[in-house]
Amino acid sequence: MGCGVITSSDRQLQPGTVLRGKWNGRSYRLERLLGTGSNGQVYLASSGRTACAVKIGNESEELAAEANALKSLGRRERGRPPFLLDVDDAELRDRLVPFYVMQYVPGSSVRSYLKRHGAQWFGVIGYRLLLRLAELHEAGLVFGDLKNDNVLVSDYGRVALVDYGGLTAIGRSVRQFTEIYDRGYWAAGGRTAEPAYDWFAAAVLWIHALDGKRLMSLTRSSLPQTRSWGDLMALVRTHTVLRPMEPWFERAFTGRFADSREACDAWRACLHRSDGEPAATVPGWMTGLFVFSILLFASAAAYWLLQ
Amino acid sequence: MNQILLITDGCSNVGESPVIAAAQALAEGITVNVAGVIDEGSIGEHGATEIAEIARAGGGMSRIVSSRQLSATVQMMTRQTVVGTIRQAVNQELQQLFGIDSVAALPPEKRADVVRVMEDMGETTPLRVALLIDASASMKPKLPAVTEAIRDLSLSLQARAGDSSIAVFHFPGDSDREPCVMDCGWTEASARIESLFGRLRMRGTTPTGPALMRVVGFFNETCGKIKNEPARPSLPGGRDDTDGVRSDYVV
Repeated sequence: MGCGVITSSDRQLQPGTVLRGKWNGRSYRLERLLGTGSNGQVYLASSGRTACAVKIGNESEELAAEANALKSLGRRERGRPPFLLDVDDAELRDRLVPFYVMQYVPGSSVRSYLKRHGAQWFGVIGYRLLLRLAELHEAGLVFGDLKNDNVLVSDYGRVALVDYGGLTAIGRSVRQFTEIYDRGYWAAGGRTAEPAYDWFAAAVLWIHALDGKRLMSLTRSSLPQTRSWGDLMALVRTHTVLRPMEPWFERAFTGRFADSREACDAWRACLHRSDGEPAATVPGWMTGLFVFSILLFASAAAYWLLQ
Repeated sequence: MNQILLITDGCSNVGESPVIAAAQALAEGITVNVAGVIDEGSIGEHGATEIAEIARAGGGMSRIVSSRQLSATVQMMTRQTVVGTIRQAVNQELQQLFGIDSVAALPPEKRADVVRVMEDMGETTPLRVALLIDASASMKPKLPAVTEAIRDLSLSLQARAGDSSIAVFHFPGDSDREPCVMDCGWTEASARIESLFGRLRMRGTTPTGPALMRVVGFFNETCGKIKNEPARPSLPGGRDDTDGVRSDYVV
């Protein structure tokens, strides 16, 4: 039930700093800061010639719990390369700091990817994201803290999840979440870890990625007692890119998919339907001309009759 | 595990010291956290000191925040207190058994095992949080934020696997003899909390100390009763739905 709003303000470590593991003896050279989470910092690092990501935590127990979740992810998802590489402590500024080492995942956040490559990529990315979530759910886990910063997109819309601080076994209470992505915040359900929790956050992610300005002003202006997922739905209905996906969003906000595979299928179905739609609808100017010609005919007929 | 969460915006001005009341609460096994809510102006040096002192005496933490941050702060403090209480107990055991002072001193694999047990305890231990709300005149514009924070907290507690309940009190009471009023006894349902402060009469005094003592007394009365109840077997996930309260939020 941690909330991602409160962030630590630890000082940044200098590039070139070397972490020497106290227990396992491996060393990591920090290259640059990748991001700051609610309970620590993640650096790009190198160990020998391989690149990796190192998360340095503020609290030993909290970091160990996160590493546990990652380890269980590795155990439950056999066949994938291991994500967690090392867990250790290192001496830094006369203090023993806990850290763990993950695979380095290159890519940029969803928002910046769409800004650079165009909004039309959202369909592929959204589908791949739902497939990834379905894998997690089938392994008995919920991602929890799904948000723009935690989804990295690389070439041709490939998707990777990073920062597993919210990873929770199904049935438990979600370990960490971000307010505007939380279905409890929008009065659309509880904070028990279940696939529907991730579907909701995925839906908010697309509004955030494509219509961030209106989403932010909605969260600022809405009152807690009247706030509801219907407000989010109104944003979807009035957005040109999102509107064709309306049926999917409605089901995601209300948790009405049988399972995550169905959520994937429904997404795909909406995408393909929206492809054909522009041809089927009559353009506005044509309707206008038609109405105009009817009027012209009517007035000509009236003029003729009166004569 | 028992907690009191005091939400206030200033200094006490009637009755015994709230610091002593908080110390008494801690002595009886109840942790006291304090959230100071300030929107305009400042809380004043005296108020800030008192808030910090109450939390220190009560073994908890204190934060001074705006009403926008209240929900997240209440969540954070409740959770940190659960984690902290368990950590303290586990570290004590480790000290006695192995002579090491904390979990952090264990090698990573052993630490992983201990932390897994600690997480389990944090999720399943019964938890009771009594909220004590300052309803003096200056708090009136902040009450919607307070209601929202309570709703938000109860939502998170409902998601826990262990039994969790909330009680809500506000002070001052309607008469001078009653330092605080109970708005809602132990409950799991957030629905009951929605219309809490509908019939609130704002008064001038701020008897924080006596109100705290009254809530400690409430813990004594009710938790004695709770212990006498036959222990319910903790089912996996703990949601046996015997009282039908939970079913209304599961989507």
